Amino acid sequence: MSTVSEPLVGSSRSLSATKRHKSVRKNSRRIYSAYQDHEGSSDDEDKDDERVDSNDPEEMFQNIQHAREIVLKYEGRLTRTRGYQTAGADLLKKLSRVLYNVVVLFIPWEVRIKKIESVASYFIFLRWLFGINIVLTIMTGAFIVLPEGYLQYSVLFYGYYGRVRKIGSAGYRLPLAYFLVGMAVFAYSFIILLRKMAKNSRLSLASASDENFTFCWRVFCAWDYLIGNPEAAESKGAAIVNNIREAIVEEQEKKKDTSLAVLISLRILANILVLLSLAGSIYIIYFVVDRSQKLEQEKPELTLWEKNEVSVVVSLITMIAPSAFELVAQLEMYHPRTSLRFQLARVLVLYLGNLYSLIIALLDKVNSMSSAVPVNPGNWSDSSAFLATISQPEVDSLSTLVSDISVSEHRNSTIATIATVLDVTNSGRSSAGTSNQTALFEKNTRSQQDQCWETYVGQEMLKLSIIDMIFTVASILLIDFIRGLVVRYLSDCCCWDLESKFPEYGEFKIAENVLHLIYNQGMICMLIYYLQAIARSLKFTNNQLRMQLQTERTEDKKKVFQMAAARLQAPEAAADKKPDQQESDVTSQEASVHTPSPRRNGSVTNFQSPVRRGNSIRTITQSASRADLNRGSVAGSVRSPAVTILPKHRLEHIPNRPPPFLGGPGGTCRSKSYHHMAYNPPARYPDNIHSDPLCRKTVRSIHPVEAAGIITAQSYAGRRGHTTRYVIVNEHEPRKKLLRSATRVPRHYLMEESAEILELYPRNIKRYAPRNTHHQLHPHRSHPSQQHLSEEEEEEEEGKGRRRVSLGKAHRPRSLSDLHQPAHFYIGERAESHVSMAKDSRTAQRRYGVQEEDEEEDGEGEMDWGDLESHSRFQANVRGADPLLVRTRRHIHSPGRHFQSPARTRPMESHVKPKTRPKLETPLTESDSASLASSSDQQNSSTDQYIQVIHNKERYLKSEARQGKLAKKKSKTGFDINQSESHDLVSSNV
Amino acid sequence: MGTTASHLPKDLLSEYQELTFLTKQEILLAHKRFTELLTKDEKDHQNTRVPMDRILTLPELKSNPFRKRICHVFSTSEHKDGSLTFEDFLDLLSAFSDSATLEIKSHYAFRIFDFDDDGTLDGGDLEKLVNCLTGETDDTRLTPEEMRQLISNILEESDIDKDGTVNLSEFQHVISRSPDFVSSFKIVL
Repeated sequence: MSTVSEPLVGSSRSLSATKRHKSVRKNSRRIYSAYQDHEGSSDDEDKDDERVDSNDPEEMFQNIQHAREIVLKYEGRLTRTRGYQTAGADLLKKLSRVLYNVVVLFIPWEVRIKKIESVASYFIFLRWLFGINIVLTIMTGAFIVLPEGYLQYSVLFYGYYGRVRKIGSAGYRLPLAYFLVGMAVFAYSFIILLRKMAKNSRLSLASASDENFTFCWRVFCAWDYLIGNPEAAESKGAAIVNNIREAIVEEQEKKKDTSLAVLISLRILANILVLLSLAGSIYIIYFVVDRSQKLEQEKPELTLWEKNEVSVVVSLITMIAPSAFELVAQLEMYHPRTSLRFQLARVLVLYLGNLYSLIIALLDKVNSMSSAVPVNPGNWSDSSAFLATISQPEVDSLSTLVSDISVSEHRNSTIATIATVLDVTNSGRSSAGTSNQTALFEKNTRSQQDQCWETYVGQEMLKLSIIDMIFTVASILLIDFIRGLVVRYLSDCCCWDLESKFPEYGEFKIAENVLHLIYNQGMICMLIYYLQAIARSLKFTNNQLRMQLQTERTEDKKKVFQMAAARLQAPEAAADKKPDQQESDVTSQEASVHTPSPRRNGSVTNFQSPVRRGNSIRTITQSASRADLNRGSVAGSVRSPAVTILPKHRLEHIPNRPPPFLGGPGGTCRSKSYHHMAYNPPARYPDNIHSDPLCRKTVRSIHPVEAAGIITAQSYAGRRGHTTRYVIVNEHEPRKKLLRSATRVPRHYLMEESAEILELYPRNIKRYAPRNTHHQLHPHRSHPSQQHLSEEEEEEEEGKGRRRVSLGKAHRPRSLSDLHQPAHFYIGERAESHVSMAKDSRTAQRRYGVQEEDEEEDGEGEMDWGDLESHSRFQANVRGADPLLVRTRRHIHSPGRHFQSPARTRPMESHVKPKTRPKLETPLTESDSASLASSSDQQNSSTDQYIQVIHNKERYLKSEARQGKLAKKKSKTGFDINQSESHDLVSSNV
Repeated sequence: MGTTASHLPKDLLSEYQELTFLTKQEILLAHKRFTELLTKDEKDHQNTRVPMDRILTLPELKSNPFRKRICHVFSTSEHKDGSLTFEDFLDLLSAFSDSATLEIKSHYAFRIFDFDDDGTLDGGDLEKLVNCLTGETDDTRLTPEEMRQLISNILEESDIDKDGTVNLSEFQHVISRSPDFVSSFKIVL
């Protein structure tokens, strides 16, 4: 306004001017009226204006002056209000800026990343990944770890979860939570990735980095628009032309340097090199994993390097290969952006290939480890021992182990079962059905060694990620930091410029490093599912087992002998020995049982070994279990004790095994039971008491599924159908837990005592030995294993404990596996004990509580035993037991199995049995309880036959008391199968 | 009204100030320079169009190889004759001012280089662009071979989506990496 009015003032005082002024003033007044304070004054001014209009120019001029002042005044008002607005806007801006600054403070590393600037994108991505991982951790932590809080049982592992629906005292449905959280994690990752991808898709096209726009800049940005002088413009134009021509000539020379043919051949060569290095890296990973597998089998103790070899090699490959690709890329002479894309694609393929090949190799390793066992005769015995051990542990560990190990075990067991089946077919010829069972057991043992394969894979992945991190840090220190120092401080004393030529400064390659981040995140995602929590307990137990196995291997035999003596005196000692032997036996038995269901078998064996450890003398049992593990992996250590027995077992087992293997289908159930077993072991280790609670838990878990023993039996039955499932339940554990323990313990002792040879515990061995040498002892031995099994079953069943006292013989009669088992048993201890057995035993001294379903047992038992010499006797015994056993089904302890198998065969021949029965019956009564427990198993699968070898008559009695009718029946079935079996075994072995 | 120096209304001035990156002084200077191009008859009319040839007499544009393209880009004429009103002229100066952002500058640069106004820089556009830079004389002009080579190299560098043309985002991507584009894409009266 003022500017407008000024010219008016300066100009002549025309009417138009005054009018204009007036209108201006009115306008100003209108604006002014908005300010109520001055309304009164504005009226006065209006009046003045009117007067002015009527007055002469002089007055008009004065009025104009006055008006001008008002206008200025208004203008001040106006600017002030506008000033408020602008001030408010500024304030808002400042506030938002401050807010943003504050928010930035809460974004982790935002400030630091801004300082870095040049490679900020890398760190922003890193931060994003970090945030995702935090969320993943919170999800798993809040819904899995916190509710239960048992990290020691590795809640985060797949293997923890069996069929149990609720874990923990609060009834929290942990398995459901585990599943849901897994799904939620997956969904979250997916959504986050999707959002990020959508957000970045627009930018992706223009986001290529490290680009050089020589030609574009020389054309698009050439002209300086400020140039206004024609001469300057002319020279500028000439410069531009020169620049462009220069660039063109350079480009043409580049192309001339290498003809198209050469270039193409070079690029083909480069791609071949890259492909070769990719294939080489994959082969190296396979090779290293294979090597580590061999090392694990050959050596009890691995050096630090041998343990981490795989991870180190993989990390080295991921470090070195990208640099090699970069060198190769120089051959191709692509445009920098093109070569960058090639580089990224190749590195991505390398990373993915490494991960895939590593996982495939690891799975291969898991498979081969589970399948390899059956082939070796020594393995067989070991497996049998494992089975025995497993049977014991099952009771206690079933609950805990089952949940954790179940998953992995299943897989392992499946593999193992397959292998066992093969083995069985091979060995089955030798001794009919028994071999199958043993084979299964062996497989199981190996699988046990492997633990859960998920756990194993998870451990490998964790190792890999940790070592990869170490390598990254080391490379930063060595290659970047030290190189930087050298370049900076030694460049003066060098004949060339270190900073611009050879060493140069390390360059941060954003693209490669981002890819590496992705690679690491991929490993983390795999960890989530394979190693959600580091399986401390599993690892720990494995290590312990290995250690114990090593130390105990040498001592095992000695201990066994000592134990035998001690067992005779003290049931506990016997139990201890038994656990070891039993473990082996159980594993073998379980393996055999598992053979029908490969997965389950493997898992079972693993579980069993730990369990057994706990049950038997803690230390001894642990060692035994470790030994078992070692056997699986190292075979030699654990197997050594069993080995003596092994040959015998093999023979026997082999015949038996094939049929059971065929029966395989039942494996799933078994695996579950095995899982339970595995869990128990840890508990057992600490204390018997602990084991008991664990056992109870396991029992619970099992019950839902079906008592662990039952489960195994069921699984077998289900898969095998007619073939009986032999679940070897070590009574030692149950004893600890329950009254059975007391009764069982004596049995175990008896078993151990009787079978000095029995040291081999592998079911077959123990059982056989008792049969041959000391009938009483043998029965006890076999019984212990059976008892353990029965106990386990019982525990699983929670005191239902229907153990079929029938000695090991009676246990498995139902299915082919039963038949096999007897053979196996003989094999293990046969060599030693069989001779004596054959001499001494056919008398029904050995009492094997065969708790198998009569039907299955009969069919199978008949088969096996029919082959064997003493079939009639054994069969008679077994058969007598068989009916009982059949009812209970469970009793199929390896020793029991052997016995049982005879029994099974015997059931067919039941006529002969009656004689032996009376002898066996007394023990059987006790074993019957176990058989009863097995009967609960029967619920799951009637076809499955669990052979519980109840060594101690007392136990049987107790069990009977508990189990009641079933137990009684079982006790009836209990026979001096050992004797007859021993004869059979002897024959087979011989 | 009384002074010949300033016949630009205050409110209009502030409005221009809001709509451009120019300061009050720059707008007044631009007005002064623009009115100097007007004939006496045209001074009486508002929103008079100044033909392109008269605009190009300005020394700031006279030497610019893209002067005609600049006039065409900023012209709002329905006849597409490159004639400018004062407001078009202010737009021009605003885009070439110090305060204009890189995005605006690169946008107008793209439009200037897009000789056929089809929204992309194709081979023909690039060829005309290079010819503008090198001039039409035989000694400075690139041979067809060189031109082909140059255009293929430009496309190789900047044509990210490989469609044979440079679109606005590709162009802006290239320009944004240039260290001196912002400082050179300026016209100051």
